[in-house]
Amino acid sequence: MNTILTNLRYAFRVLRKSPGFTLVAAVTLALGIASTTAIFSMVDQVLLHSLPYPHSDRIVYVSQTDRPTGEGDATSPANYLDWLAQNRVFSQMAASRGWQGNLGGERPERIRITMASASFFPLFGVRTLLGRSLLPEDESPGHDHVAVISYALWKRRFNADRALLNQDITLNNEKYTIIGVMPPNFAPDNHGELWVPSPWSVPAHPLVPSQDPRQFRSRNYLDVWARLKPGVTLQQARSEMDAIARRLEKQYPDDNRDVAIGVTGMQDSLVSDVRPVLYVLLGAVVFVLLIGCANVANLLLARGKGRSREVSIRAALGASRAGLIWQLLTESVLLALLGGLLGILLAAWGVPVLLTLAPAEIRELGAVGVNTEILVLGLLLSLATGILFGLAPAFHLANENLQESLKEGERGSTGHGGRTRSILVVAEVGLSLILLIGAGLTIKSFVRVLRVDPGFDPTHLLVFSVGLPSSATPAQQDNFYRQVTESFQELPGVQLAGAVSRLPLSGGNSSRSFKVPGNDRGYSADIRVSTPEYFRTMGIPIIRGRFLTAHDIEGSTPVVVVNEALAEGAFPGQDPIGKFLLDFGPGSEKLQIVGVIGNVRHVGLEIAPHYEAYLPFGQAHWPSVFMAVRTRTTDPLALVPAVQNAVWSVDKSVPLSDVRTMHDVVARSLRQRKFTMTLLGIFAGLAVALAAVGLYGVMSYSVVQRTHEIGIRMALGAQQHDVLKMVVQRGMSLAGVGVILGVAASFGLTRLISHLLFGVSPSDPVTFLAVAVLLMSVALFANYIPARRATQVDPMVALRCE
Amino acid sequence: MIQLKNLERSYKTAAGQFFVLRRINLDIRQGEFITVMGPSGAGKSSLLNVLALLDDGWQGEYWFRDQAVHDMRRKQRGELAKRNVGMVFQSYHLLDDLTVRENIDLPLSYKDIPHKQRQGMVADTLDRFQIVAKKDLFPSQLSGGQQQLVGVARAVIHKPALLLADEPTGNLHSSQAKEIMELFRDLNQQGTTIVQVTHSDSNAAYGSRTIQLRDGWMVSDTANPELQPYEAIKQ
Repeated sequence: MNTILTNLRYAFRVLRKSPGFTLVAAVTLALGIASTTAIFSMVDQVLLHSLPYPHSDRIVYVSQTDRPTGEGDATSPANYLDWLAQNRVFSQMAASRGWQGNLGGERPERIRITMASASFFPLFGVRTLLGRSLLPEDESPGHDHVAVISYALWKRRFNADRALLNQDITLNNEKYTIIGVMPPNFAPDNHGELWVPSPWSVPAHPLVPSQDPRQFRSRNYLDVWARLKPGVTLQQARSEMDAIARRLEKQYPDDNRDVAIGVTGMQDSLVSDVRPVLYVLLGAVVFVLLIGCANVANLLLARGKGRSREVSIRAALGASRAGLIWQLLTESVLLALLGGLLGILLAAWGVPVLLTLAPAEIRELGAVGVNTEILVLGLLLSLATGILFGLAPAFHLANENLQESLKEGERGSTGHGGRTRSILVVAEVGLSLILLIGAGLTIKSFVRVLRVDPGFDPTHLLVFSVGLPSSATPAQQDNFYRQVTESFQELPGVQLAGAVSRLPLSGGNSSRSFKVPGNDRGYSADIRVSTPEYFRTMGIPIIRGRFLTAHDIEGSTPVVVVNEALAEGAFPGQDPIGKFLLDFGPGSEKLQIVGVIGNVRHVGLEIAPHYEAYLPFGQAHWPSVFMAVRTRTTDPLALVPAVQNAVWSVDKSVPLSDVRTMHDVVARSLRQRKFTMTLLGIFAGLAVALAAVGLYGVMSYSVVQRTHEIGIRMALGAQQHDVLKMVVQRGMSLAGVGVILGVAASFGLTRLISHLLFGVSPSDPVTFLAVAVLLMSVALFANYIPARRATQVDPMVALRCE
Repeated sequence: MIQLKNLERSYKTAAGQFFVLRRINLDIRQGEFITVMGPSGAGKSSLLNVLALLDDGWQGEYWFRDQAVHDMRRKQRGELAKRNVGMVFQSYHLLDDLTVRENIDLPLSYKDIPHKQRQGMVADTLDRFQIVAKKDLFPSQLSGGQQQLVGVARAVIHKPALLLADEPTGNLHSSQAKEIMELFRDLNQQGTTIVQVTHSDSNAAYGSRTIQLRDGWMVSDTANPELQPYEAIKQ
């Protein structure tokens, strides 16, 4: 204990004696530890932290999947009921579906609603904060108008009023009684602000809310959750559900052909999109931390030169090798802890900043930040890095030849840790090159994505969600959207306005199966319901035929406008105008194609357009829509009050929600890509800066070490440019080796981020070359300064030891 | 060959201007073997540095083969030295990481001489100094005398007109010193002008002319008996 205290006291004194060294080393480590801690706090909360439900590792998400492609889909009510009846692996199952509805009152508000089976709340095992959750008796007609609300809605809309229970609210113009309030962070489906039961124990279909859904096998709209029985593994559950899927496929070949059942752990299902991104970023920050460690190890090695005499004297006076290493390691660990504390402070400040860039999956999955666990992790990380970067210099010094160090005159030896330092620099350059290439590839992908033609013109477009109650008839809806559209067009500053069931790049999708004449093959198309003006408002071009018109109403020929992808895929080499889509959707409708429009990137800018079919509001029913308003102003949001008033002039109970510009919609769809790109860019920049500092440090040290040699060379005829060339050549050869090793490693490592790339190969030669040139230029700059200093060596001074 | 006229070298110190060379007037003729002697701090090495064109901070006139060195820029002086001057040091100053062959090649590497020609010149020199067997050894594997032999070989490989030696035998025992000094005599007889700095009278005996320095002043020159003695200068 006494030795530790003595070592610590001495370490403090040593660090205080050289504040410049201490500051540089601590800041270098702080940057590495801050990056690692910040990203790990996200990984911890999003990937490692258990969900806030008892035994959440046993909760799974069950879904219909397409057997050939493995793509997941929602589940049909009839299949859900069969799964429920036939499985022996789940102790509980529940179904839910989300949609949006109007919460009435003085301030009508559009909120996210989940219709759930009564088993939903018991399955997640969370008790209500107030009142009770849904019970089986709430699932009978006449008793189903009860609601459980989220903690956030209770606070925001009802000021956390504890007397709210049993009070009535208006939801889509119908009265519901609030029976319970859930605690904070209850969001199993990442959607609901308010939960209601279904009168049929299975959530109703949003388009036909009044129909008993239990027989629907071709309408897939349910999210299904289940809890594994104790002792049942995920693999066992998958096997059994696969057997059930094959049985149902045989029993219902029309609806269940190639329908498999996916069983995914709940946490996995929620974070599957962000997991690879976070792992890539975690890898990146570990690289930054390693570079930081290499830098500090280099600083310590350089400082070791000045300390070899001290160490030799200690050894001569009886210090053991282990004792010397222990003392030197105490200094490194103390330095690392100092850097660690700085790093944790930096991370505490930086995490909220990073979160502003983060995609919704990361922001909404819990309280990301520097908590006690992260604090402990940060300190352990500091301890580990202290040992990591301190070990090499400590061994180096403790192994020095005692006599030589004591005898050593002013000339000194030229090889003091030289090879170790060179290896560290090569490693730093290599690691930063890998990061830089990763960043380069994601930046290039981002640029490629930005260049993708979305199929519409997002400039000057204002968009928002608006919805009539689901009880409204198709005629009432058609009338409403027509009147609202007309009232918009009277507004100064508005050019055009249209409505659509699903806005591009806003998430959510719905598809329908169909056939074409003379072909037994089944197709699937994404369905959109729109007003005639929607296409012109969005700037979607007509390729053949016509747009939808105001004459496409109930009673007239059912018509459809399809996109180019559908036209070319289902009618190759033919003119699709006048042809029919058969057996369209569960109603097996026959729709005549009247127009072909350009492809729209609906799911994502980087995802190829699906088949799309646009139906008119006059002939199809959709309870909630997005409206698009093309304005004449550069700030479409300035028109929001006028637009809101125009909607209210038609129906005072209809609220607007998700009011945004279309540019914002496009930007949000790119958020995850931008987050990855920005962070990789920041970490790569940091890595390059640290590597440049490392290279500069090594070359400066080398110039000091070689002053005598340079003096001799100058005395023998070397000119300034000879010396400059010699020093730069040495530094650039180190950087060159680092670049070559980094390029070789990158060929393998960039495959790991291939899923984050778009339109660029993981081994894109242009990026590799550009990054290598960039890094060599930075290395040249880092070399030039010490090389320049070397040319100023005065041979007389250098040789004065004579 | 070389004329120094009223050459002075001084440093600024906290106590004021400190002169290390005072009003030096020296005429070095082609083929001379000059020995510079004097007590420590007399200015011997400073004079050698000026002659070697390593030092730029002097005042006065320096003529090298009728070229006004005092009017030249640093780069021109460097070029002049590179072509005409060879240096031998007391501590040999061989580069530890280079072999004997590479050390000897070093001055040539700073001239525009084709690689092949350089190889030939190095081979000749190794032969001439009888150190062929040592060509691949590193300095640490040689004795002091062998290291100085390499130092001399390196100094003369480019056939300099002027060879400057600063205490060339200071670190050697007497038999090695004799060997080196005989080598200098041979070089001198072959036409190389030599200026050596030494404390040793026996080494000075190899030279044709001796000058004495004290406190920066040139106080005696065997080629110029009329030079004012130090006592007179001090007065």
